Amino acid sequence: MVRGVVIAVVLLTVSVTAGAAPSGQPIRIGGTLALTGPLAPTALLHKIAGEVYVEELNKGNGLLGRPVEWVLLDDQSKPDLTRSLYEKLITVDKVDLLMGPYATSGILAAMTVAQRYNKIFPHHSFGMPHLAKYEMHFPTAAFGPEPNRTVPTTVFDALAATANPPKTVAILTSKFPSAQFQSSGAKEVAEKRGLKVVLYLEYEFGNRDWGALAARVKDANPDFLWIGVLGLDGNQMLEAMKKLDYTPPRHFHLFPAPGPLAVAPDAKNALSVTVFEEHPPFMNNAGAAKLVPIFRERAAKANVPYAHVETQAGGSFAAWQILEAAVNATKSLDDKTLAQWLRKNRVDTLIGKLRFDGPNNYGDDLFKVKQVQDGKWVVVWPREFAAPGARLLPP
Amino acid sequence: MRPALGLVAAGLALATLPLAGLPAFYESFLYLVFHWVALATSWSLLSGYAGYFSFGHGAFFGAGMYTTATLTAGLGVPFLAALPVAAAVATLLSAGIGAVVFRIRRLRGELFGLLTLAITFVLATIVLNTRLDGGPGVYLSNVPLPRLVASPTGTFYLLALGLAVLTLGAAYAITRSRLGLGLFAIHDDEDVAEVEGVPTFAYKLAAFALSAGIAGIAGGIHAMYVSYVTVPDTFSITVPLYVVLMSVLGGSRHWLGPAVGAAIITASLYAFTGGQQAVIGRAVVAFALILVILLLPEGVVPAVLRRRRPRARAEPAAPARPATEARDAPGVTLECHDVWKAFGGIQALRGVSLHVAPGEIVGLVGPNGSGKTTLINVISGHYAADRGRIALGPVSLTGRAAHAIAGLGVSRTYQIPRPFAHFTALDNVALAATFGAARCAPAEARAEARQWLAFTGLGRRATALPHELNLHERKFLELARALAGRPRVLLLDEVLSGLNPGEITSAVELIRQIRARGVAILFVEHLMRAVLDLSDRVVVLNEGEVIATGTPSEAMRAARVVEVYLGRAHVA
Amino acid sequence: MPSLTLLGQAVVSGLLAGGLYGLLALGLSLSWGLLRLVNLSHFALALLGAYLTYQLGHVAHLAPWTAAALIVPVFFVVGMALHAVFARFRVTEFTSLLVTFGLAVILESVIQWFWTADYRRYETPWASASTRVGPLFVPTLELLACLTAATLALATWAWLRFTYVGKALRAAAEDPAMAGAFGVNHRAHAFVLSGISAAYAGVAGAFIALISTLAPAQIWVWLGTVFAVAIIGGLGHPVGALLAGFLIGVSESVTMAVAAPAWAPLVSFSILIALLVLRPERV
Repeated sequence: MVRGVVIAVVLLTVSVTAGAAPSGQPIRIGGTLALTGPLAPTALLHKIAGEVYVEELNKGNGLLGRPVEWVLLDDQSKPDLTRSLYEKLITVDKVDLLMGPYATSGILAAMTVAQRYNKIFPHHSFGMPHLAKYEMHFPTAAFGPEPNRTVPTTVFDALAATANPPKTVAILTSKFPSAQFQSSGAKEVAEKRGLKVVLYLEYEFGNRDWGALAARVKDANPDFLWIGVLGLDGNQMLEAMKKLDYTPPRHFHLFPAPGPLAVAPDAKNALSVTVFEEHPPFMNNAGAAKLVPIFRERAAKANVPYAHVETQAGGSFAAWQILEAAVNATKSLDDKTLAQWLRKNRVDTLIGKLRFDGPNNYGDDLFKVKQVQDGKWVVVWPREFAAPGARLLPP
Repeated sequence: MRPALGLVAAGLALATLPLAGLPAFYESFLYLVFHWVALATSWSLLSGYAGYFSFGHGAFFGAGMYTTATLTAGLGVPFLAALPVAAAVATLLSAGIGAVVFRIRRLRGELFGLLTLAITFVLATIVLNTRLDGGPGVYLSNVPLPRLVASPTGTFYLLALGLAVLTLGAAYAITRSRLGLGLFAIHDDEDVAEVEGVPTFAYKLAAFALSAGIAGIAGGIHAMYVSYVTVPDTFSITVPLYVVLMSVLGGSRHWLGPAVGAAIITASLYAFTGGQQAVIGRAVVAFALILVILLLPEGVVPAVLRRRRPRARAEPAAPARPATEARDAPGVTLECHDVWKAFGGIQALRGVSLHVAPGEIVGLVGPNGSGKTTLINVISGHYAADRGRIALGPVSLTGRAAHAIAGLGVSRTYQIPRPFAHFTALDNVALAATFGAARCAPAEARAEARQWLAFTGLGRRATALPHELNLHERKFLELARALAGRPRVLLLDEVLSGLNPGEITSAVELIRQIRARGVAILFVEHLMRAVLDLSDRVVVLNEGEVIATGTPSEAMRAARVVEVYLGRAHVA
Repeated sequence: MPSLTLLGQAVVSGLLAGGLYGLLALGLSLSWGLLRLVNLSHFALALLGAYLTYQLGHVAHLAPWTAAALIVPVFFVVGMALHAVFARFRVTEFTSLLVTFGLAVILESVIQWFWTADYRRYETPWASASTRVGPLFVPTLELLACLTAATLALATWAWLRFTYVGKALRAAAEDPAMAGAFGVNHRAHAFVLSGISAAYAGVAGAFIALISTLAPAQIWVWLGTVFAVAIIGGLGHPVGALLAGFLIGVSESVTMAVAAPAWAPLVSFSILIALLVLRPERV
């Protein structure tokens, strides 16, 4: 309701001032997000990104000169509800286009529906590329087709380029499907590169006792610790190790909540991966200069503790961007036409150039290595993407 | 029978829905409704009816989900062929658990809840760490879905509808059957139910197995519906918690209650899925649920039924004719030979031997703690004797379960009346007629029960609940219940205590009438006047030993009896 | 073969984790055992307490103990108010599940409304502090939580055991009609107990804020394990709840230290099942 008013007001002001305002029946784009439940912390960022994007779209010329309306439903972090809500969006609300929900389980549930109704299905947060078999799905979580190989390779490349590369590795991972998938890949990559994996542990997703795990890592005393974390597990793990008077010389966090990790006192020099950070060269990417400040302002207003664009919001913006690019290029809302265009063309997005012509519609792995430096995340590898003057700080 | 027909008619009518051309969403929405109807109703079979509060429904649901996932995605078994296996796995799991747990008297109430919760955690951990899943989840995208109707949503809808209708049908049939009656009795007082002849172990096991089997099928279908099965989503607290909430909301003791609760809660999930009101919407739904349960604490369905049909149902007055004596079984002698029983270090019975002949009243007397009630508990099978032999004529009772002993014609009363709290007086007595030696069919049992209520002077109180009866009425209810089983041996545990002189006189008269029917009566009583008045013989117990036996006057004159009752000083 | 230091460290860590379980289970066990109310909203209250501690500490810069000193009395009153509702509507053990579930959902919504769904972390200098004892390290905050749990459990035990109000509560739990006949004013005492239970949720919340990380949906994360702890400790037995917390905590922690960590729940809950089946009279 509130948002409806906001859109109406925006439409009104734009039409008075700019004159090129979108008009006619709105194009309705439907999707769900986990606005409540355990996935809500991250889904919130996707909600803000989507709202910002749609507003900006409507401030301009909309899509094909028509205003855009985002029909957003709350899937409550439940895959079964996600599935039936996508059926609602398609068969009852009869939306023109779809936008994916947040996270792997929900996306798989929704993808089945999209496939049945032959709807083009862009999504922004899917971690298991080998499971996505639908020919009209378009992922903007730019992992490439084999993130279990490519992501760890990027990380170990970055480490190898430092003055004293690690020789022993400990890998600790949550049994969260996508985290476990990439972490088990990290073990293989490390062994293939001749590093010694001194410890490989999988723990239950939702673990609360970090003391024993910390003691085991301390016991193994690796040069490098890979933590297949989700959310704040990494903070807890670092604290637990610190309590044992131990800090691993180098530590990597797969999917951390970026804000709390950046400011944590124990997280000095923590490593992670990202597709976007708010510094050059990323700020030169398509749309970044315009979208990033608005997102920051909006997120701060929504009381989000870390009001910055990074992987999550970046992926979200990119998903909207590829949809916009396809519609504008084909002047069509036809799912098949749009899908065909996307598979043939590269799209410039906030997170870089995306292509969808590889296995399972995946293109390049766009993930870069970032590091906490002075309480801020900066990209440090590959060198051409590093923040100005930044390099991977050794322990 | 009307509800059963209604159920079939509603099921058939709903089955035509996929032909109506509604948007697929409605099928999908109704799929979830029926999915929860089946889950919540199946949970209530054991947990609602028998009061065995399970927090482990997620384990059986999950067992079904992973059985289907493993068979279809891993081994290429067709989906519909996997469903019976899912049901079988869940059933076997529950039967295995039940076979161990239901033998342990202490594991009731919250301990049963804890146990089932713990089993869910253990099962989830095993699935998470073995090849059944291992962590990445199981994706069923390549499993072909059979086409019952044109659309996949229609197919899921029909599967869930079928399961829900079958489950409700089973629930309805159970609440109207011996099984249901027995389960309700277990809910109120399991020990008494067993002694009244309810085969509690078998009934609990049957209800648990059926309950788990249905949950297994529901899980099997749901695996295909979500198509991506992961441990955190499957074994989360959602299933065990929601089935409880739905049953509480709808009314867990009514066959339709959990289904109504399931429909309300599932629909309320959809009430506020709009992106902007999601957070407030959840709070509003929660607040509405609180209001409903505060205002209708017994659940929606019972509350609605009560309003439509006030409880003052005109019960036909009890027929005046006395219970027919022609159907009484031939008399039989109860014999105890050298019965021993110890609790921990306390020797409660030390080689007690006695016999009671048909038509005989044997008074069992002794100071408090002398073992009188223990002997009754051992004869009725509530406790097994450590040593010794108890027989009913040629039939040995030793080692038999209490319900089997009741079936052979042994009935008892409790010193402090233990009626089934949620049963009317009539139903209390009818239960004994159904499960005791009389073995009446349910309808016949009610007629029989009416006669016994009339016999004990409770004819006008047939529809009263036990808490509405006064002490003397409850004592007589105990007696009516014991008689309705058509006992050949009647064990009376202080039926007279707490009654006023007038009531005692009428009770004594009743007991005489019962004796006249050829029943062997073992009569425990503190009230000496009644003992001397009624008993043909008296057996005196002290510290678990028979210290005297004989006619009332002989026994009471025996030196040791005087000593025990009056103290040594008086002897000297 | 794991080193002795590793084993010892795991035992310490398990004991302390168990202390937090016990602290959370304490209030739950009291209201369940003595008032026959299964309070699912106990976890929501604890998390609300945690968010308030975070707000007062992180944003208003109050010391956590000052925050706790403010929160605990407020929660005591909240607990009494809750009981007023329960008493007014004669809520039973069975219906209390639904009522308190609804309450927990409302509190979850309130938390999400004020603090968003995003993760919160209350950074304090004590978060990674510990004391060295020989080769082992004892984390400060966890130790404090554990000691608080032990103190509260013992104090509650003594209160129930030796004071008139406590004895009356236990008598009423065993036989409400009989206690009523002896003139025990159960209803007034129930208010006090409900207040205490909520106040304990506040204490637990303060420690959760200091030790753990916050997100609204975490209300449901604790449910299973803490339920198990409360029941195995014996409902209404404060010290039992604490010991049960230790049992679960240590068995999980040691499994994590010597075997695959993800198998930990199997060990702890198998022990529990074995205890229930083989020694039901001890539970």
